[in-house]
Amino acid sequence: MLTQRTANLIFVLFIMLACGYFAWVAEGFITSGLLASSGLPSKFFPQLLLSLTAICAVIVGVLYLHRGDAGDAGETVFENGAEARRGLLMLVVAIACYFIWREIGFLTMAILIGPASLLAMGISKPMMYFVVLMITAVVTTVFTYGLRIQLI
Amino acid sequence: MIDVSALVSAIGLLMDPFTLTLLVFGIVVGLVIGILPGLGPPIAIALALPFTFYMDAVPSMVLLLGIYSAAIYGGSISAIAVGIPGTGAAIATVLDGHNMFKSGNGGEALGFSLTGSIIGGLFSAVCLMLIAPLLADLAVKFGPREYLAISVFGLIVVVRVAGKSLSKGLLMGGLGIFLTTWGLDELNGTERYTFGSYYLYEGLPLVPFLVGLFAMSEVLIGAERATRKVDFSTESLSVKLPGFKTLLRMKDVIMRSSLIGTIIGIIPGEGAAVGAFFAYSEAKRRSKEPEKYGTGIPEGIVAPETANNATVGGALVPTLTLGVPGSPAAAVLLGALLIQGLTPGPKLFSEEPELMYAIFLGLFLINILMMFIGLVAIRFAAQLIRVPTAIIVPTVLFLSFVGIYSVSNSFFNVGVMLGAGILGYVVRKLGYSIAPLSIGFVLGPILENSLRQSLTIADGSFAEFFNTPIGIIIYVALALTILWGPLMARLRG
Repeated sequence: MLTQRTANLIFVLFIMLACGYFAWVAEGFITSGLLASSGLPSKFFPQLLLSLTAICAVIVGVLYLHRGDAGDAGETVFENGAEARRGLLMLVVAIACYFIWREIGFLTMAILIGPASLLAMGISKPMMYFVVLMITAVVTTVFTYGLRIQLI
Repeated sequence: MIDVSALVSAIGLLMDPFTLTLLVFGIVVGLVIGILPGLGPPIAIALALPFTFYMDAVPSMVLLLGIYSAAIYGGSISAIAVGIPGTGAAIATVLDGHNMFKSGNGGEALGFSLTGSIIGGLFSAVCLMLIAPLLADLAVKFGPREYLAISVFGLIVVVRVAGKSLSKGLLMGGLGIFLTTWGLDELNGTERYTFGSYYLYEGLPLVPFLVGLFAMSEVLIGAERATRKVDFSTESLSVKLPGFKTLLRMKDVIMRSSLIGTIIGIIPGEGAAVGAFFAYSEAKRRSKEPEKYGTGIPEGIVAPETANNATVGGALVPTLTLGVPGSPAAAVLLGALLIQGLTPGPKLFSEEPELMYAIFLGLFLINILMMFIGLVAIRFAAQLIRVPTAIIVPTVLFLSFVGIYSVSNSFFNVGVMLGAGILGYVVRKLGYSIAPLSIGFVLGPILENSLRQSLTIADGSFAEFFNTPIGIIIYVALALTILWGPLMARLRG
């Protein structure tokens, strides 16, 4: 299983790279006029925050590299393979449903979201599928006819 | 001074049948969501936010406050019945509450939790009524330097209490504030991180971001444990309220916990969980029989439950008067005020006195009605603990999608929610707390504007930040907050 140490080291590396990228983007901000007397350009605050975030990321990285943990010694990101599979499949379902709604339409997404979520979680009881579909129908009805939102 | 006409108008608005119905509905929904493990007050409020878009300010705030108060109380029901806290605020209740339940005194345990919650809630409502107008009067005189000090205070405090690692908390706080720099610069109109998209001109929207951070990340974490089963006996689920004599015996614990909860709530960034733990440890420390705590004694339930509900009124003090949220749930509540086109801050008291009075009185009414609803509904509501996570997960996911879309008919907002959800999921899995991220995201604009305005006023000198008595008091309070724990530990050897 993926340990907290490995995952956190990858994460802080990603954060540091992202901080570098966003700080570089901030250099390109075209400021229409500097603040009257303080001379603070628009890039000042984001770059200040990015520096702080990067420093914290370095500290977290050092903690994991040298001490081996940050109060989570021996812990793993997921308890077991099945939990990891369910969580990540659910993530795929959420992203897929967003794109299905945007590209195909609400109705297709609404019909798929419940059953796809249950499949991702490894649920096989037909009753669950029925209940989830009913809830989806009720929510859609409330929003469409109760709140008059044009979903379909 | 009490504005009598505004007070009368607020009572009229509160007594409106639609508002009263929403109030009761809010309590029931809050109770239900609080009972369900994993779904706490921020998620409950976030899921209800889209519905408030179509309401006036008073009914919408009453609905959300009902949800907020009841969700905190609801967490204790699952903590007592199955030993799984419905919310973080109920973690301290598990120790004694579940032990009482297991020994066949579940009804008494639920009675103590309900009574404590009501007393704590009412106490903090009184404090809110007394303190908020005074603080608002004072806050009118606040300039950018004072707001900077308050924002720094709020952020540092939440970072300190949010997790095991200070650097991880600071990283999240910094990330949350950084994300608020996206969009047009409010001071000079410069485009920042818009990546050519006009959707980003106004920056990342607050409500979708918070819903994603709390609700979406919980959906993904909930999916992981979807197959876990929860079962319990409903035999001792009839609430038995404690008698007057019993309450009188515990008056010290109740008063101290109410006060602790309210003060912890007022401190920006601290939440109900901190209040509950603090009150529990204080009750145990001052008890003549501290060894009995954790074995199933009423004081072990009353202390945390009184305190966690007392944080509600406390958290509303900085939220309403300064626009600085007292807790993650209050941060989402702040989003509700923004949806209504209202800017939280001292001017709210002079511009919207009816709303302010309605909030004060509404909080009273919520706590009183919660007593009756709690008595009637606990036995039935507790059955909800049995609702499989596999049903809750797709329901919350679908509600989040539709709810966020309905606020402005925008796929961009749904995308932001999804992105924030993924971010929240990843950081939670890596052991980061999302509280500093959410508070940072709310405080970011206040921090940036006050910092830049302060520097402008001070001709670029950072030393001028401390040239303000209120600012100095706040910075000293911050230093004391940070140093108090280690100092006391050292003094006690």
